[in-house]
Order: sequence, then structure tokens, then C-alpha cells
Amino acid sequence: MALTRRAGLIALLGAVAVVLAPRPGLAFGLLLGLLAVLIGVDLALAGSVRALRFQRQGENALRLGDSAEVTLLVENPGSRRVRGRVRDAWAPSVRATPREQPLDVPPGERRRLVFRLSPLRRGDHRAVAVTVRAFGPLGIAARQGSHLAPWSVRVLPPFLSRRHLPSRLARLRELDGRHPALVRGQGTEFDSLREYVVGDDVRSIDWRATARRQDVVVRTWRPERDRRVLIVLDTGRTSAGRVGVDPTSGDPAGWPRLDWSMDAALLLAALAAKAGDRVDFLAHDRTVRAWVSGASRTETLPALVNAMAPLEAELVEADAPGMVAAVLTRARRRCLVVLLTDLNAAALEEGLLPVLPQLSARHQVLVAAVADPRVAELAAGRDSAEQVYDAAAAEKLRGDRRRITARLRRHGVEVVDALPEDAAPALADAYLALKAAGRL
Amino acid sequence: MSVPTTPRIRDRWRTWRGTVGALLLITLAAVLMVGLTAPRPGGYLDAEGTGLGGTHALVELLADQGVRVEQVRTLEEAREIATPDSLVVLARPEYLIDGDVLDRIDDLPGDLLLIEPLDAMLPELAPGASMGSYEPVRSRAPECGLREAVQAGTARMGGSFYQLTGPDARCYGGALIRYRPGGRTTTIVGSGDFMTNGKLAEDGNAALAMNLVGAKPRVTWFAPRIPLGDEPPSTLEELLPEQVDWLIWSLIVAVGLLAVAQGRRLGPVVAEKLPVVVRAAETAEGRGRLYRARRARDRAAHALRAACLDRVVPRLGLSPAAEPDAIVAAIAVRVGQDAGQIRSTLYGPAPEDDARLVALARRLDLIERQVRDS
Repeated sequence: MALTRRAGLIALLGAVAVVLAPRPGLAFGLLLGLLAVLIGVDLALAGSVRALRFQRQGENALRLGDSAEVTLLVENPGSRRVRGRVRDAWAPSVRATPREQPLDVPPGERRRLVFRLSPLRRGDHRAVAVTVRAFGPLGIAARQGSHLAPWSVRVLPPFLSRRHLPSRLARLRELDGRHPALVRGQGTEFDSLREYVVGDDVRSIDWRATARRQDVVVRTWRPERDRRVLIVLDTGRTSAGRVGVDPTSGDPAGWPRLDWSMDAALLLAALAAKAGDRVDFLAHDRTVRAWVSGASRTETLPALVNAMAPLEAELVEADAPGMVAAVLTRARRRCLVVLLTDLNAAALEEGLLPVLPQLSARHQVLVAAVADPRVAELAAGRDSAEQVYDAAAAEKLRGDRRRITARLRRHGVEVVDALPEDAAPALADAYLALKAAGRL
Repeated sequence: MSVPTTPRIRDRWRTWRGTVGALLLITLAAVLMVGLTAPRPGGYLDAEGTGLGGTHALVELLADQGVRVEQVRTLEEAREIATPDSLVVLARPEYLIDGDVLDRIDDLPGDLLLIEPLDAMLPELAPGASMGSYEPVRSRAPECGLREAVQAGTARMGGSFYQLTGPDARCYGGALIRYRPGGRTTTIVGSGDFMTNGKLAEDGNAALAMNLVGAKPRVTWFAPRIPLGDEPPSTLEELLPEQVDWLIWSLIVAVGLLAVAQGRRLGPVVAEKLPVVVRAAETAEGRGRLYRARRARDRAAHALRAACLDRVVPRLGLSPAAEPDAIVAAIAVRVGQDAGQIRSTLYGPAPEDDARLVALARRLDLIERQVRDS
């Protein structure tokens, strides 16, 4: 039940009447009675909210930063017209607009209401309740009730780095057969024989074939295909730290490292899928948070995006031995393990470094991390003593980062440490370099 | 398909009826208990007062003995019920200061018991009596021949002591006097303390009080609450017209309805799990503040120098493990500066104050830039 302002206004007018009446006590009693009767009649004549039936249509998934429309079908099977207001309640960050809409459904008919969602956060969002307030014919009182009309929307990572994909695919084609590479790398595969043209490397001449064909023939090579790439996303506490500027909302508080890492992982996955490699995905902190394996090349990206959508950084220390064990049990053949984490000296020295040899003995390991531009900003401060102290602290942090990088490299691990905006292209370039060198 | 989530009214009633019932029961019990046991209001020497200062206990005792005590507040009431065969107890004489009122009290038929009368009213009500000294209230012996006092024995008496000019019965050193001026038995006590609920059980208080008050079968207990004789002033409520009262009630109803209309939410409040917001640079900033707070120039200088060397040494083509001497020499050759100055910049002691720390940072920047540009 709900009242409208009209009820209050009637009571105010009644107050005037009470003042003017010869017997104010009686007038007050009459006013109370009148109000009770009007409210009762209006409630009795209002359309039934409980009988309404709701259905939804619309989108189930959207990228962060986009907006989606969800349609609400309201059916009135009752015998009275339902006239009032509807609110479709979602979590505040989903930003369902308009907040409420007018509704007017005659008996036996249905109406279509469209709500637009512009979520601010990644993950799964569920509709909480649909609430209808149905006014009576006098507009004094209303019936109000809520219905559960289930619907959920999955907000996917925005994959902003896809703008870097065309240029990286061009580089990939250079490596690939369309721009034949005559450099023989470790692990490259024999592709075909073709006639020598001026400019080819004489070392690639296949003398046996030349002898048979009476023409100079060179061997061409192509980069290895059907390699495996395992992207491991660290969802522990170090991934919760915010760096840079949130590219979807412009929030200067930054975007979590996890989201930057996802962006880089998606570019890498898209590139690797195009290059004919198989991409698996593992998210891990204390336990396995997500695992995607065996997706076909065209399905890789949707599968990854779906698996990443609900991931959030957990405020726990990542369990590096557990992560290594999870990788070793899942990846039986040699693969490129891309570990997206933070180069936090303390966390890595205690966690990853002791177990790294097990991993690097069987797999090629690449550690990718997102550096904090704010630290670089602090390190450049020279204007006052305070700024120099901050700069020293920032330099100390960067020094630790350099040292841990050097130690990782001594273990034969590739390290990519780039600022947020550059992380995705830098990781893609590192992958292409490994591929060109035949080290996958 | 949708499911209604708002409970039906009867379901809601089923959920809440236990709570509502319990609340009603508790309220009822509380009201009953308070109503039965709370001291009834009433001031000092009020015949209906059940507090420590009231005299309801005495009234009850007298009722058991067949003595009817009726409390009156106004002179008119007193005049209605007073008979020649009754006793008028004047309990709160401080409100009776008007001479005209005193006259009319004097005209009341029957005997008179004055409790703590003021000096000013003695000539009217008790001619021949006058007020003497003032003594504290304590246990006193009767020391007189008055039957009522002798039977009661010691009692808590005191207050004003009275003197008489004529023949009299003067007990407790003057705190109780009895005589018959003009044919009516007049008793004066200097303190009513002994007949209050709080003190009645001590000494011979109860006996004395019953002897004095229960002398006649009907007692008019005259205890006015406001000064008699003057018109009581009209209050604000009485001056306002009747409509204002009802206007206020109507406005309360109107505002209540408006509040309900405005306060009713359309649908639930939706709670959301908020993400953690931790800026990654907070560790660096925190460490910077620590350096600053402790003026840790040595650590700051060390960090700045190490960072500079990390960047400069690879550019010089030296291995990271190169000796300081080799590094200093290489830089000196590269930038064409004095080796001693470069050594003190890169390996010298920690700066002694903040200004020198800033200067050191700038010199390190300069060396780095020169090596890079050369």
C-alpha cells in the first residue's frame, strides 16, 4: 500500500474546513472518516499488482562501457486496469535508466517497457525486483508490490587493446608464409621449395633439390604452428592495486591491475589464435578461479572473455606453488606459460621464485606485469625535499622491480614490464618475438 | 516467468502476529504493574499520597477503626461536609494566608487540628497561642498530662514550639498544645512529620497520630494545593479558541499522510558488494612519507644513487658488477668532469640536510643526462 500527496492535500483542505466549522471536533471526526473512506475505496478499486505477469527479453551480455537494452513485458490478466509506475531494480552500478516508468495496462493486455543498462562494473549482474505501484481511480492511494522477474547480464571485459590487433596481425603475416621468411629459426618448420630470387639468403639454397631441378631452389620456412599458449592470470592481492586511469569511466583512481592484465591477455589470445596456436586460460589465487581449455580457434576469444567476466581480485596472497602445480597438471606438453602478475619483489621472492625452476624446466615462461605510471611520476619529483624523499621511495621500488626482473631472466624467464596503456602491445610483441625466434 | 515477492496481507499478519501479541502483552503487564505499585502523586501531608511524605497510611488505619477521613481542596467543599461533631485537619496552612479565608475557616463547625500553623494565622484560628522557638524534629517524651500523648509515649516531634497564655495541655516541650478557646477543642502540632507514611511506624508516632486525628468519627482533611482567596490565573490553553486544538490535530494528520506518501519507496534498496579500491602507488607514497617523517636522508640518497647507477652503468658498457673506481673513471672520461666530484656525488657520505639531498638528486640527474647525451 502507498499513498499519494493528494491524500495529504485533502487533509490540509480538511484542516481549513475544521477551523471554519461551528463544531470543530465533529468536523475533525468527519474529516478522519472521509479520509478513511476515500483511501479504502481507492485501494479497493486499484488494479491488482499481485496478478501481473512479467517477462523479459533483451541482451544477456555486453562489453564494459557499452549499454544494453532489456525489455520488460507486463501482462495484466486481472479484471481492472493497472495504472501506475514501475521500477526495475538493479544494483546501482548497473545504472538502469530510467529509474521508473509510467505504466497503463488495460485488463487482458500487455505492455512493453524498455530499460537501458549502462553498467560500470564487470561481472554478472542480476535483476533484483520489479516493483509496481498501481493507483486507484481517485489517485489518493495505491497498491504496491514486487515481483521477481529473473534476468542476468554478464558484463564482459572491454578488450580495449583490440585496436592494436591489426598491426600485430600484419607483423604475424610477415613472419608467416605470405611474406616468406627465409631465416631458419629454432623450432621453425620446413614449408616448401621455391625458385631462388635475387636477394634470398644463399644459405637457404637446397643443393640436393637444385641438382635435381637444374634450377637454383631455396627452402622456405614458416614459423611453428599448433603451439600451445597457457595464459595464467594471478587474481591475488597484488592484482587488486589500481594503476593508471580507468579507460572506461575516466576515473583517476585507476583500473585494477587485473583488468589491465585481462586486456593484455585478450590481445595475446586473439593474436595467438590467429597465428594458429592453441590458447588455454587459467585464473588462480589460492584456488583455480577459472579454467578454459580446448576451445576451437574461433571460439577462443569468446570463451576467454566469458571466463574472465566474473573474476575479481581476491584480497589473499597468491599461492605460487599451487599455481605451478595447477599448470603442471594441466599442461602436459611444452607450452608458453604467460604469467600475468605484478613484479612485487616480496611476493615473488617468497612465492614464485622457489618453484619457478619446476615450471621453467618444462615450459617457456613469460612473466608480464603492469608498471605504475604514478611511481615514475614520483621518481621524477625534484622540486622540494618532500618530493625528493618520495622520489627516493619510488626509486627504491623500481630498483626492487629491476632486481626481481634480473633474477627472473637468469632463470630463463622472459619478462615484460610495461605501463598500463602499453602492456597489451608489449606482451603481443614479446609473443611475436618468441614466435619469430622459434622459441615456443 | 515472474513470481510475486511481496507477501499477502494475511501471510504478513501470520508472520507478525506473534511479535505483535508479545508486545501487547508486555505493554499490558507493564501498565498494570506501574498502575498498581507506583506511589500516587501527592505532596507533603496529602491524605491520598502514598509517597513518603503522604499520610495515606494513617487514613487507612483510621478507616479500619471506623473513622471517615475526607480530603478536601477548597473551602466550599470543607464547608459542605464539616459538622459540629467532626474534626477539621488543616494540613497545608502555608496556602492559607488571606485574612478573609482564615475567618471562614474559623467559622467551620467542629474541632480543629492545626498542623504547622504559621505565626500570622494564630491570632485568627488559635487566639492566645503564640509561636516560640524552633527545634529540630527528633524523638521526644510527652512530659505532660494529655491522655492522647501519654498513651502514645515518645514520638518524633519538633518544629515550631508554641506558648499559651491560658490553662492548657502543653506536651513534647510545646510542640503539641491543646486548649479550648471559645468552646472548640483546638490542637496545634509543630510538625506533621510524625504522621507521614515514612515515619508512622517509628516510636509512638502511629498511636499519637491516631489519637489526635481519630478523636471524632468524621474528619475533614483540608489540604489546599493552591493559595486560596485569589482567582487562579487563566492558562494559555484556556485563552485559545477551541478551533486551534482541532486545527493542530488536522495538521498532524495532514503532515502524517504527506510523510507516508513521500516516504514510501518504490521497490527495495539494492545493496551491492563494492570492490576494493587500493591505489597501487600507495606503498611507494607511504614509504616516501616514512622517509620524510624520519628524515632518512641516508636511505633516500642510497636509493637515488643506486637507481642512477642502474641506469648509467649499462650505457657505459660496464657490467653491473663493476668496481666503483672503474665506474667513476668511465663517467669522468665520458662527461669530461673531475673524477673526485663524480665520486662524491655517487659514493659520498649521506647529505646532512634536506637542501643537500635535493642538490644531490639534481647532480645525479645531471650526470645521468650527460652520460645519456654524450
